[in-house]
Amino acid sequence: MASTGKSVKAPKSKTLRCRTLHEYLKSLSPSVLDRLYNHPSTCLAVYRELSEIAKHYVIRLLFVEQPVPQAVIASWLSKTHAKEHKEATDTLTELRVWNEASVPGGLSAWILNPIFKRNAKVALLGGGKPWSMSAKLEQDQKARDLDFLNQYALERWECILRFMVGSQQTEGISADAVRTLLYAELMKCNEGSESPVITKDGFQFLLLETPAQVWYFILKYLETVETKGLDLVECLTFLFQLKFSTLGTDYSTEGMSEKLQIFLQHLREFGLVYQRKRKAGRFYPTKLALNMATRGTLKQIREPGFLIVETNFRVYAYTDSNLKVALIGLFTELMYRFPNLTVGVLTRDSVRAALRSGITAAQIIGFLRLHALPTLATPLPPVVADQIQLWEGERERLTTTEGVLYSQFVSQADFEKLRDYAQDLGVLTWQNDKKRTVVVTKQGHSDIKKFWVHHQKGSQHS
Amino acid sequence: MKQFLLHLDETNTLGRRFIIQDLDETHLFISSDVLELLMTRVDDLLDQISFPINERE
Repeated sequence: MASTGKSVKAPKSKTLRCRTLHEYLKSLSPSVLDRLYNHPSTCLAVYRELSEIAKHYVIRLLFVEQPVPQAVIASWLSKTHAKEHKEATDTLTELRVWNEASVPGGLSAWILNPIFKRNAKVALLGGGKPWSMSAKLEQDQKARDLDFLNQYALERWECILRFMVGSQQTEGISADAVRTLLYAELMKCNEGSESPVITKDGFQFLLLETPAQVWYFILKYLETVETKGLDLVECLTFLFQLKFSTLGTDYSTEGMSEKLQIFLQHLREFGLVYQRKRKAGRFYPTKLALNMATRGTLKQIREPGFLIVETNFRVYAYTDSNLKVALIGLFTELMYRFPNLTVGVLTRDSVRAALRSGITAAQIIGFLRLHALPTLATPLPPVVADQIQLWEGERERLTTTEGVLYSQFVSQADFEKLRDYAQDLGVLTWQNDKKRTVVVTKQGHSDIKKFWVHHQKGSQHS
Repeated sequence: MKQFLLHLDETNTLGRRFIIQDLDETHLFISSDVLELLMTRVDDLLDQISFPINERE
């Protein structure tokens, strides 16, 4: 009666997800979070990323030394915004900015995390020990200006990206960066071949904006720091300090622990800080570090666009960067290459090849829009965007789900019993009561089978 | 698309019949071992009916 096979259902493609700062912090253990809040810069960073309402709650509670009943806090916001209130309170609880407490009378209440409170006060009002990194007193004889730093940061970062696209220029990428890429599954080592190759996630990673790339990469790197013998809290605190440093200023490495020095060297390799020499005693943060994981400032460091897409599907890229050409080559067929201009054409085959390697149509369209020349009236002709989406849709004309078919029930009651049971379990894929046929998913098959055998035994006895 | 699959089934193009049951207008219950072959056939079909939009000189 049961037969195995496949039936048809909607697909889900896997996309690369970049976690926000809060999502990352929520995944940390409570003790790590408490240690993080020991530093004013972390508190300030967390505070800045909160929603307006949550910020308001924190400020109102900052000087209250006793628990405040939850009902009182709820009354600060009009009832019509219960959803926002819930979001804000949930976030604050998950981030351990406040903890649950009880007030006399049995009401549940919230009290700000004492560590957070102390350090947030320092961050917002000043006082206490100086918490930003100390600037070196005497002038750097070989001071670097902003242009140089920006150039340097971009070069370092492109170096990593170029390595991912597999260009020849692989020099200058550090072993740690390669290890992180492998760990993040942006690249993988195929058996038998020496050099790693890019994965589906890697392709998607390449099309992200630079700050998002840096943040994703650093998150993955942070997951590995403890295996390198570094302290996660120390590293994170340092990263937050970097975030609040000033571009173009040099900072002293004095007073940094041995471990932090190692961490600094890693950041130097990724281009987040600049050091002339390893033992220079000073370093400059770059804009990669400053823009990391901030919501508002993402747009500021965007490079000017360089692409023109015509309605005849040609893509003109005004660039001399090998990386950008390689990126465009991911989904176009390159036709001509000049010193400062590359012409490619979007074809069905080239786009399908990109789709097969795991890039989505939305990502291609997003990339083309993002990097379009700012002077263009329409960054991307609608006909091109639509066609790319159609090409993607074409691949999903036929979708399958694995399942088991039950048919030829003796009675309608038997059929309905089985169908309802499958529905309750959430394994029902398809059913038709006229034909008395159900299709259940493969996972559900064993449960359904047990249920059916049991059911039949029961009906034989009666 | 379903008609194309029915056609493949009737003409034994894949070497044998593979449709186990015709469920409704948009669903077919098919044998899982021909899936890969079937997908390449569908790809071929789409290749045939697509028209190259780019002019080549």
